[in-house]
Amino acid sequence: MRKYWWVFKIALADRFVYRADFFLSTFLRFTPIITTIALWSAVYAGGDRKLIGNLTYGDMVSYYLIVMIARAFGSMPGLAGGLAHDIREGELRKFIIQPVNYVIYHLHLRMAHKSVYFVMATIPYAIVFWWCRGYLPGWPALVQWLPCLLSLVFAFFLGFLINMAMGLLSFWFLEVTSFMFIFMVSQYFLSGHQFPLTMLPAGLREVVTYLPFAYETFYPVMLLLGKCDQAEAWRIILGQAIWISLLAGVVAVGWRRGLRRYAAYGG
Amino acid sequence: MIRHLRIGMLFARNGLVRELSFRTNFIVTVISEMLWLAMMLIFVEIIFANTRSVSGWNNYQYLFLLGTHFLISSLFETFFFSNLQRLSELIRTGGLDFVLLKPAQPQFLLSFERVDYAALANAPLGVFLCGFAVYRLGSPVSVVDVLLFAVLVISGVLTLYGLMFIFSTSSVWLIRQTSASHFWFYLTSCARYPAEIYQPLVRGVLWFVLTFVIPVLIVANLPANAVVRGGAFQPWLVGYALAAAVIILAVSAVVFRWALRSYRSASS
Repeated sequence: MRKYWWVFKIALADRFVYRADFFLSTFLRFTPIITTIALWSAVYAGGDRKLIGNLTYGDMVSYYLIVMIARAFGSMPGLAGGLAHDIREGELRKFIIQPVNYVIYHLHLRMAHKSVYFVMATIPYAIVFWWCRGYLPGWPALVQWLPCLLSLVFAFFLGFLINMAMGLLSFWFLEVTSFMFIFMVSQYFLSGHQFPLTMLPAGLREVVTYLPFAYETFYPVMLLLGKCDQAEAWRIILGQAIWISLLAGVVAVGWRRGLRRYAAYGG
Repeated sequence: MIRHLRIGMLFARNGLVRELSFRTNFIVTVISEMLWLAMMLIFVEIIFANTRSVSGWNNYQYLFLLGTHFLISSLFETFFFSNLQRLSELIRTGGLDFVLLKPAQPQFLLSFERVDYAALANAPLGVFLCGFAVYRLGSPVSVVDVLLFAVLVISGVLTLYGLMFIFSTSSVWLIRQTSASHFWFYLTSCARYPAEIYQPLVRGVLWFVLTFVIPVLIVANLPANAVVRGGAFQPWLVGYALAAAVIILAVSAVVFRWALRSYRSASS
């Protein structure tokens, strides 16, 4: 679709405008990694276990490094909040009267943002990964490249759909910023961002690893970390695909139902 | 001075009125803050299920550190966070004009206008966590310890305020700055751990910078050391922490005046 191609190009240009801001935030993004390395080094040194949550110290640091890659695909800052804002303030009007689908419009916006991010962040990422190369497991085997890449692309779609679905709640609840915070906190933990989900006690782990959050970050990371065999890799891709179709359905239905309730507040 | 105190009281009352008119929001915010605390506690439990100590901190000393961190950041978020978040926005949109026109000290107005009572919920939880840790550690705590703790907590809040104020003010030069809340997130995710974990990194340079240049590591660590880790506590650091708070506050005032010279009052 030509019009979405233009959306993509304009968003691309917009992203290059605020370069200083970009470099500052990319740099800041890596600061938690330093804490991670320091903390886990102390944790492994403080006990006798070589394996924690089935991971060695090197694995653990790599895990958090690769989380950065998975998050670069899956994180959608401001998407849910932006949709909530557009609904509450009546900004949605201008999309309804245009021949543009809001969800697909934002999908292209995000693809543009991510493209710029990948181009601009390659150098800082490469520096950090090179610096930490001692911890990393090495490149994945050639047969794993396709599932690895797919899992990251799927992580992008999962992140997009999860956030969209959250934002759609605004059609039903007027004030959702606090829900957003609960959502962000839960996502931070349930996706394996704070610690590898393999560290959870067995019962809890069973539940958490079935949720879409785990498929957004935890599974792609384990895959890139080389912790999965070929069959496991494709099971992960399948799981992601199932969650993507489910959430796409939820967003489509939620969008249609929501629009019916939409009152276009504001002048 | 008296006038500013009265304005401050007015801000505090306004905040309460605002908070009480959105009661559901208040309750949900409190719940989400508690959720965050619960998640952090689970993380600590998971760590200590796998190790005995983290850089010389045992389970309950670590809990005390976490409680201290929650107390300090809750106080900061209650009084300053939404104000400083708004500051970047005011600079970007030119809304700062209306603050500068008012017949009161602008840094005062910018820093105190909003009080976020919902964020205060974590303060008693932090204190409770500290109390629980002290109880489990079984070591005696004197009145002097408690007073010292209180003084260090306040100086920690002011240190964080100074750092965040300088950061928010910098949006004058960086124009669009969406990262004030991110900066806070990174600052706290670095400061809520034992300072000693940073010592082995890059020959201690990082630890030195985070202790003496951008002193975030003393904020929660020092009060925790003072109360539950007598062996690791260095009394001279108390003088240093207080001096650091004063210096950072002074620097923040200087940077603000300096930034105003570059402020472009952009508006539509």
